Amino acid sequence: MSKKFCNPFLLAALLLISIAGHAQPKPSFRVEGEVLKPRTLTQDDLLKWKTTEVKGKDRDGKEHVFKGVRLVDVLDSAGVTLGGKLRGENLAKYVLVKAADGYEVIFSLPEIDPEFTSQTVLLAYEVDGHPLAKGEGPFRMVVPSDKKQARWIRELTTIKVVFSKE
Amino acid sequence: MKKRKRPSVWMLATAATTLTVLLSFQTPGPSSQPYTLNYPAYFGGRFTIPENNPMTQEGVALGRMLFYEPRLSGNNRVTCATCHQQKLAFTDGKAFSAGVDGTLTKRSSMSLSNLLWVRNLFWDGRVSGLEAQAVVPLTDPHEMGQSLEASVMKLKADGSYREKFAQAFGSGDITGENLLKALAQFERTLISGDSRYDKYLRGQYQPTAQELRGIELFMTPPSPQRNIRGANCGHCHGTPKTFVELFHNNGLDTLPKDAGREAITGQAIDRGRFRVPTLRNISLTAPYMHDGRFATLTEVLNHYNEHVQPSTTLSPFIAEATNAVDGKSLMLTETEKGDLLVFLQMLTDSAFVNNPDFSNPHFLRSTKP
Ligand code: HEC
Ligand code: HEC
Repeated sequence: MSKKFCNPFLLAALLLISIAGHAQPKPSFRVEGEVLKPRTLTQDDLLKWKTTEVKGKDRDGKEHVFKGVRLVDVLDSAGVTLGGKLRGENLAKYVLVKAADGYEVIFSLPEIDPEFTSQTVLLAYEVDGHPLAKGEGPFRMVVPSDKKQARWIRELTTIKVVFSKE
Repeated sequence: MKKRKRPSVWMLATAATTLTVLLSFQTPGPSSQPYTLNYPAYFGGRFTIPENNPMTQEGVALGRMLFYEPRLSGNNRVTCATCHQQKLAFTDGKAFSAGVDGTLTKRSSMSLSNLLWVRNLFWDGRVSGLEAQAVVPLTDPHEMGQSLEASVMKLKADGSYREKFAQAFGSGDITGENLLKALAQFERTLISGDSRYDKYLRGQYQPTAQELRGIELFMTPPSPQRNIRGANCGHCHGTPKTFVELFHNNGLDTLPKDAGREAITGQAIDRGRFRVPTLRNISLTAPYMHDGRFATLTEVLNHYNEHVQPSTTLSPFIAEATNAVDGKSLMLTETEKGDLLVFLQMLTDSAFVNNPDFSNPHFLRSTKP
């Protein structure tokens, strides 16, 4: 049976590798939407930034130490209206975060901005000293103050700042 | 059902007459009647109808004619309804379906309901928008096997279509674009929201104890540490629509024969991932999965409970869900599987599969597949 499927499967895999090889050398995520400088970031980019660690209880009920960069710094690097600029109509913006599987969650900017809140929303790439596992990483959102992990979105691919159109 | 068919013919006829009268008095412009979509509020308003294809009564009526029109196929025998039959919630009961040339489709036919809320169509989500989707089966040599140009020529030879296109789109010209638009309009009306589960959500039906247990298990993520039992189906098939638009590998194979989403994105993490399908009318849409490998819902439940295949892209929401501390599979009991089955059966909407507005409107010509 394995012989029967081996060839076409291999061919398809080789084809895909050759396509993928061109399109994306490294896992990355996009920051886009209502930002001054839309950008694509890889882990190498993030490693040059100030790291932050947070403790949080994951779905397994156990506490873990997550390492990464603050979401606010990611947004700031793309020129999002934060701090002194987070007023007036800019308060009607939200952040739509998407995962590879299509999962989507939103944050409001004041939930992320340290001038508004004392919680840290982390864009993590490590847990307990190890890179995030397959299916979880390479990038994951960690929101320690959320009691449910529904916004701890795994396999993060896109961060989009959007104006509420209401 | 027969009794209810009549008024709809009369209504169409009356609408058509009214329109002709209106047309002769009006300056050129949109003369068609807007179509109001009725759907349960709990489905939510997260859908977009293309600005250049507003829903009209006439557009929907034309789309319905076209959905059942055999002349849109190369051999004048295949219609959309060949593979999407109303009585089976617009599936065909087969694992793979034969089109004009007898070749089987690569994947299993999909149920057409609540498509208004689907942004990425097909099992792998490769097409967005129902207008763009319709070109695929129409022109695929193994499905209906005819170019849009050839279809337009055949329809032009029939005077009644000229009038219907004019009523729907303002100009008498039958075009490929308008053909697709009309089909999409009809498909947007295929809303299933009147099952027993809907009646329960609207407070019009009191479920049995077993049904209530099934609903609860279906929607709940298990947490053995906290003594909470669940099947976690709701993570993917949640909300009253019974699907969230996600792409997941639900553990059918360790080495998938069909790469699924990976073939679209070129990303290895998408191997064997498929779009989460609706479970509405699921009792009517066997066989199950993109390749129709499971003949019954019992087999599906056994799959999720006992036969999930490990792989690098298996969804963590399936791999991690268990009802036993350190359990390696879902570990539901036979009784709990029975409860889930009873919930899935609550999703059958007989008003939908018998709705005369969705049936074959070509009364005189036989279009039996
Ligand atoms: C020969 C059988 C066949 C015919 C004829 C056919 N379809 Fe399909 N249809 C399928 C199959 C198989 C799929 C799934 C294909 C895939 O995912 O690759 C499908 C999928 C779809 C979907 C996607 C549903 C979803 O949830 O994503 C829509 C919409 C659809 N068909 C509409 C139509 C329309 C409209 C016509 C007529 C113009 C038509 N089909 C004719 C077999 C058929
Ligand atoms: C991680 C997401 C996920 C979870 C959790 C999940 N499913 Fe699915 N389900 C899918 C996907 C994706 C498919 C389509 C897979 C394919 O065809 O390759 C599917 C297909 C199905 C189908 C077949 C639908 C059809 O039209 O053929 C049924 C029935 C089903 N699931 C029931 C369930 C039940 C019951 C549960 C809970 C025990 C469950 N699912 C849990 C993602 C999920």
